[in-house]
Amino acid sequence: MWNDLRIRLRSIVRRRRVEAELDDELQFHLDRQVEQYLARGLAPDEAARRARVALGGLDQVKEECRDARGIRPLDDLAQDLRFGLRVLRKSPGFTLIAVVTLALGICATSTILSWIDSTLLDPIPGAADTSDLVTVMRGTITEHPSPPFSYPDYVDLRNRTTTLSGLLAYHDDFVSLTGVGKPERIYGALTTANYFDLLGVKPILGRGFTPGEESTPGGAPVVVLSYAFWQSHFGASPSAVGRSVRINRHTYTVIGVAPPGFQGCKTGLRDDVWMPLSMDRDVWGGNRIDDRGVFWLNVLGRLKPGVRAARAAGELNLLMQRIAASTPEIERGPDQITLDPLWRSPFGANVYLYKTLPLLLGLAAVLLLLACANVANLLLMRSVGRRREMALRLAMGASRSRIVRQLLAESLLVALAGGAAAIAITWWTAGAFGRFFPPTGLPLTLTGHMKGSVLVATVVTALLAAVVSGVLPALRLSNMAPVTVLKEEGRTSGGLRQSRVSRVLVVAQIALCLLLLIAAGLFAKSFRNEQRANPGFDPQHVLLASYDLSPTGESAAQQVTFDQRLLDRLRALPGVQSAALADFSPLNFTLHSNDVLPEGYVPQRHESMEIDRATVSPGYFQTLKTPLVAGREFTDHDDQASQPVAIVNQAFGDRYWPGLDPMGRRVTVFGRTFTVVGVVRNAKYRLLHYAPAPIVFLPLYQNPRDQVIVHLRVAGDPGAVAPLLTRTVEALDPDLPVYDVVTLERSMQFGSIFERLAATLVGAFGLLALGLAAVGLYGVVAFATRQRTREIGIRMALGAQRRDVFGLVIGQGLRMALIGVALGLVGALGLTRFISSLLYGAQPTDPLTFIGVSVVLIVVVILACYTPARRASNVDPMKALRYE
Amino acid sequence: MGEPSRIDLPQGTLDLLILRILALGPEHGWAISERIQQVSRNVLQVPQGSLYPALHRLERRGWIKATWSTTENNRRAKYYDLSAAGRKQLEVEESGWRKLAAAVAHVLEST
Repeated sequence: MWNDLRIRLRSIVRRRRVEAELDDELQFHLDRQVEQYLARGLAPDEAARRARVALGGLDQVKEECRDARGIRPLDDLAQDLRFGLRVLRKSPGFTLIAVVTLALGICATSTILSWIDSTLLDPIPGAADTSDLVTVMRGTITEHPSPPFSYPDYVDLRNRTTTLSGLLAYHDDFVSLTGVGKPERIYGALTTANYFDLLGVKPILGRGFTPGEESTPGGAPVVVLSYAFWQSHFGASPSAVGRSVRINRHTYTVIGVAPPGFQGCKTGLRDDVWMPLSMDRDVWGGNRIDDRGVFWLNVLGRLKPGVRAARAAGELNLLMQRIAASTPEIERGPDQITLDPLWRSPFGANVYLYKTLPLLLGLAAVLLLLACANVANLLLMRSVGRRREMALRLAMGASRSRIVRQLLAESLLVALAGGAAAIAITWWTAGAFGRFFPPTGLPLTLTGHMKGSVLVATVVTALLAAVVSGVLPALRLSNMAPVTVLKEEGRTSGGLRQSRVSRVLVVAQIALCLLLLIAAGLFAKSFRNEQRANPGFDPQHVLLASYDLSPTGESAAQQVTFDQRLLDRLRALPGVQSAALADFSPLNFTLHSNDVLPEGYVPQRHESMEIDRATVSPGYFQTLKTPLVAGREFTDHDDQASQPVAIVNQAFGDRYWPGLDPMGRRVTVFGRTFTVVGVVRNAKYRLLHYAPAPIVFLPLYQNPRDQVIVHLRVAGDPGAVAPLLTRTVEALDPDLPVYDVVTLERSMQFGSIFERLAATLVGAFGLLALGLAAVGLYGVVAFATRQRTREIGIRMALGAQRRDVFGLVIGQGLRMALIGVALGLVGALGLTRFISSLLYGAQPTDPLTFIGVSVVLIVVVILACYTPARRASNVDPMKALRYE
Repeated sequence: MGEPSRIDLPQGTLDLLILRILALGPEHGWAISERIQQVSRNVLQVPQGSLYPALHRLERRGWIKATWSTTENNRRAKYYDLSAAGRKQLEVEESGWRKLAAAVAHVLEST
C-alpha cells in the first residue's frame, strides 16, 4: 500500500527523472538486442529495425509502463487541475464571485464549528477522554444548579460505586489573593485528592494532592497553580514549587503547576488555583467537610470502560436512595440522580450552548447550501458559452466521465480557494465568540479556536461544497449530442435547457433564503421582545461596581460599618440619587440560591426547595425602582442586633402561601428564621426569558458579605460617575480594589446573551442569504433576457409595447420568487418548531414575521429584476433582429 | 528452422517466471527475457513488449526493487531484485501453479 503510493507519487513528482529512466532502460534493452542481431550477422540497419519490432513499438511499451506504475489517475487529475486553473484565470470575474460566495458559506459553518469544537466537544481542555466523564446531579436539572452534594454523601457514593472508575468533587468560588502587590480577586477551587488523576491531568511541575490531604480540616495548606496563573504571578519560574501564596488571609505552599490549557472542570470558566477540600475551614471559614446536611460539592465521575451512563445512573440512584434512607434526619429535597455527558453538563457554559450552537450550525449549513446553489448557477450560465468547446472534445473522443471530472476539477479549485479564504477569516471569527459577552467579573474564557479538527472539517466542507455546486453543471454540460451543438454554429437557443435548471436553482435559493430570513426574523423578534419587556426594575442610569472586603480581615461588624460609611458618602455625591449594596446584580449570573423553607409549606416528595436568595442593603428597591406592594424596605436598623427579617416577591407568596398574606410569615434560610416585613413586585434576576421565580431577600447588615456590588442610581450618564465612585472607595481604603465598574444596562446584557448571539448570527446569515439570492436571481434573469433578445425584438416588431416587455421580464422573476417563497413558507412551517424553545414571546409560526419576510424577499426580487427588465424594454427591434 | 516451435505464455504466468528468475539474483530486463527463453529451452516466447510493464507493475506492488548499477561491460542498467514480500509472493504463486498444473494433468490423464 505504502510502496504503491510511493511509486505513484515519485512517478508524478519526479516525472522527468522517471521518464528518463524509462528511456534508458528500454534503450539498454534495444542495444543488447541489436548487438545480438549483429552477432548473428545482420546488417546494422536491419538489426536496429528488427530489435524495435521485437520490442513491439517503443511508445506503446512506454505508455504501458506508465500505466503499470499507476500514474494515470493522478496524472489526469494533475492535468485537470492545471487546465482548470487556466480556465478560471481566463474569467477572473466569475472566479472571484464564486470563490467569495463559497468562502462566505464555508466560513459561516467553520466559525460555528470552531465554537462547538472548543465548548461542546472540548469541555475540559487538557483532560483525557472527556467522553467517559459525566456530571453527577441530584434533583431536577436546571440551567443554574447549586452544588448538589455534601462531602459525606459524596464519599459514600465514591466508596460504593462499581460502575464508575472514580468520582471527584470540587467547590469553586472567588478567593482573594494578597501578599503580591495589590489584593486581587481570583477564582479558586477546593478539590478532592483524586481530582487531577481522575481527569488525566498531569502537573507539569510538582504534584497534585495526596489522599491524606483531602479530609483533615485545615490539615494541608497546599496549592496547585494553573499554568496561566503561574506565568502571570511567578514569571513561569521553575522554582515556584515550594514558594507560598496568601489566599483569603492564609498561607499556602505551592506544590504543583497544572499543564497549559487546563483550567478546571467547568466549560468556559477559569480556575486560577486549586486547594484540597480540607482547606474549606481556612478558605471559606466553613467546616462543611463533616456536615452531611450542607450541599456544596459538584461531582464528576468517570464511567468504567463499557459501562453506559444509564446503568451508572441507575446504580448511583439506588445508592443515593439507600444513603437517604439511612440518614432520614437530613433534609435533602429531591434525591434522584441524573448523569449528564459534559457537552450538556449543567455546570459551566455548555448547558446554555448545547441547544443554541447546533441550531446555528444547521442554519449556517442552509446558508452554505444556498451559496452552493448560487455557484452552481454561475457555472451553468457560464457553461452555455462553453458548449462548443465541450462538444468538440466529445467529438474528438474524450469520454463523458473525463469531461465531468475536468469540470469538477474546476469546482474543486473554486471550493478549495473558498475554503482557504474561509479558514483565513475563521482565524478571526473563531475568537469573536468571546466578544459577545459583556465585561463581567466571572472568569469567563469562552472563545472559539482553530484547531486541527476544525481545519479538517473545514477542508471536508469545502470538498463537499465542490461536489454539491459542481456536479449538476458538469453533468448538464457533458450530456449533449456533439453534432447538434456543433451544427448550432454560434446560435444560442441551445441554452434553453440550461436555463430551466438555472430557474430551478434560483427557486431553491429563494426558498432557502426565505427559511433563513424567517429564522432571523423570529430570533430578532424574540430578542426585541426580551429587550422591551419590563424586567421589573429600571435598568437605566444605574452604575455597578464590585469590591471584596475579605482580604482586609475585618470582622463582620467592621464590614457593616465600612458598607454603611461608603453608602453614606456615595449618596452624598453630586448627581447620585440613591445607592445600595447587594451580593448580586440582576441578569448577570451572580444570583445565588439556597434551601429555603417557607413556614407552613409542605414540600412534595422530591420537590426541590432550592430558592433564589439575595442579600441587599437598605435602599435597594428604591435604587432599582422595584415597587414594594406591601410592608417596608430594609433599614439601617435591620442589623445583627435586631430581629431577623426578610422581603419576598409576589411570586414567592403566590407559590408557597397561595391566598395568604405573606406579611409576618416566616422563612428558614441557613438554619435561621426570618420574618417577612415586605413584599416586592416580581422582577427578573436570572435570564430575561425566565418566568419570574420566587426569591427571598435578606438584609445585608444582618448577613454581612465580603463580596458586594454597589448599585448607584444617578441623574445623568452613569458611566460618567465611574471615576468618582472609584475615588470614593479609595478614599475610604486605598488598598481596596474596585472591580467590574459597568452600567447595569451593559451588565444585564448577560441576561439575554444567547438570544443576542442567535439574533446577531442568524440575522447575519439571513442578510448574506438575501444578498446571495438577489445576486443569483439577477444573474439568471439578466442572462435569460440576453438570450431572448431576438425573441423580444420579434415581439416588439409585432407591436408589443415597452411596458409589456418590462412586465414580461419582471413577471419571469416574480414567478420564480413566488414559487420559491411558497416552498420556503412550507419548509419554514415545518422547521421553525425546532427553534421554538429558544424563542421568547414569538410563535414559531408568527404570521407577521412570515408575511413580512416574504414581502421583503419579493420586493428584493423585483429590484433584482429591474435592471434586466429595463434593458430588455429598451431593445431596439431592428438591431435585435439583425444581431443574430 | 532448427529452433523448436514456441508457445505463448499463458495468462498470468509472466509474473511468476520473473519472480522465479529473480530468486536467483538481481538481473536487468534484457537478461530476464534471455534467461526465460534459455531455461525454458527456447519453448516459451516472452513478448518483450509486455516484460517491461510487468516489471514496473511488480515494482509498484513492492515485490521487486529496482536499482541502477553497471554491467560487466561497464554500462548503466536497471537491475531488479526480489524483495521480502516478493519472496513470499513467489512461494504463493509457485504452489498455486503446481496445483493448477497437477489438476490439469489429472484431468487430461483421466479422460
